[in-house]
Amino acid sequence: MQRRQDWAFHATAAASLALGAIVWEIAGHLTSGAFWAPLSVTLARLWDLAASGVLAARAASSLTLFVTGFALAVAVGAPLGLALARAARLRIAVESYVMVLYATPMVALIPFILSMLGFGFAPKALIVFLFAVFPVLYNTIEGARSVRPELVEVAQSFRSNEWQLWRDVMIPYTLPYTMTGVRLAIGRGLVGMVAAEFFLSPSGLGQEIMLGSQNFDTALMLASILVIVVLGVVLIEIGRGLEERFARWRGVPR
Amino acid sequence: MNGATLAAIAAPEPRRRLRDAPWFLRLVAGVVLLAVWELVVRAFAPAYVAKPTGIVRAIGPVLADPQFLAAAGATLWAVALGLAISIAGGTAVGLLMGRARLADAGLRYYVNSLFATPMVTILPLATLWFGYSGDARLAVVVFAAFFSITVNVSDGARSVPPEYLEVGRSFRASGWRTILEIVLPSSLPYLLAGLRLAGGRALIGAVVAEFFASIPGLGYYILFNSRTFKHDVAFVAVLVLVAAGVGFEVTLSWLMRRYLPWARRT
Repeated sequence: MQRRQDWAFHATAAASLALGAIVWEIAGHLTSGAFWAPLSVTLARLWDLAASGVLAARAASSLTLFVTGFALAVAVGAPLGLALARAARLRIAVESYVMVLYATPMVALIPFILSMLGFGFAPKALIVFLFAVFPVLYNTIEGARSVRPELVEVAQSFRSNEWQLWRDVMIPYTLPYTMTGVRLAIGRGLVGMVAAEFFLSPSGLGQEIMLGSQNFDTALMLASILVIVVLGVVLIEIGRGLEERFARWRGVPR
Repeated sequence: MNGATLAAIAAPEPRRRLRDAPWFLRLVAGVVLLAVWELVVRAFAPAYVAKPTGIVRAIGPVLADPQFLAAAGATLWAVALGLAISIAGGTAVGLLMGRARLADAGLRYYVNSLFATPMVTILPLATLWFGYSGDARLAVVVFAAFFSITVNVSDGARSVPPEYLEVGRSFRASGWRTILEIVLPSSLPYLLAGLRLAGGRALIGAVVAEFFASIPGLGYYILFNSRTFKHDVAFVAVLVLVAAGVGFEVTLSWLMRRYLPWARRT
């Protein structure tokens, strides 16, 4: 019975994807070329892009931007959040501001960054950083708050030194929350990446989308969007995997 | 043992010291952050860069400016309308996916990949289809918000405790009543979690659409004023966006505590 249901599930999923491809193709033939391009034309354009090496160059440029900003965000957000776990007064003092910054739509700062820092790589990486750092920091602080004071007291009464306390209590209890932040930061960082490529100097996959839109080359636009969608799905799956991997630590004493 | 310790032991309730009160710590941190901002800008940045004293001076005139009020109204209205559409549509699709296995099979790849798509990428498509108009902004807002609600509601509908459904079956509840009176209420905490995500995304969507297509609104107000180096004025619009984002979060967590105290979700 279970077997048959699985079969029906996969068959429906495959049929639905096939239907989507057919609708995409037909819609492209029915409308003007500027509005939508058939799937076949889009894939041909994607193939050209890949064969000429442009795709690899653009994707590498986008990924460099994303990884730089994102790595900085984790490198700043996680240690800062962890440090606040041990400095309770400082944590109470700043956590509401972190919450406000977490809820702030960071895109609104792009025009300021543009007019102060210009078009280089650094301001773009700064945008990705700003998009990604607050989910990491906020969730790490949340985790820090979840460490029960009794645990710290028990560790201290067994004469744990500061390093052991971190290794056995603080980090294992906080990291699962950090990973939730990392998953959210991946999604936000991607938005920051494309926004930086659109609104600062055009570069990477964002530049290809803009080129397509300016030249009414809808196939190029759709092909580039498709690449970003695949990139997004892959990165977010990685984030979800990381989160699940560390979620096992949650509430389970080591 | 000196007198002070004895007095502390004897006191029925030790008075909390001011320097440990949370509100005091927060106030100090806020003042320090603003002072650092002000001093850094004064010392190192050009005169046009936004700083707290300049922003405070700009707040009055900006809030009295009818053009600004129109911009704020347009943006927040688009966000509210887009969220309303996303709640209605996203909940319907989410319930369908959560309760009907084949609907789930047919839709999940689309919903998941559109959820993972950074909403900024569809800006050129949205302007192509809807023109450089408020409709394009609304489309981007809906795109930004819809799928986080769908994904969360479908998770919620999938994890309805089976006992609830059994009770419904024993009382011979119809399919509609099961959905409306059992599945939907039990998915509400998930809906609110999705809405929380959707609210932030919707604000971002509205602002980027205004940047991209020069649609009158808060985003365009920021863009225009920062281009003419009136950063203090532009920053007031940022503050309104922050207030909207924070206000939304606070309202949702209040709703959650007030009406769904039974829901415990991490």
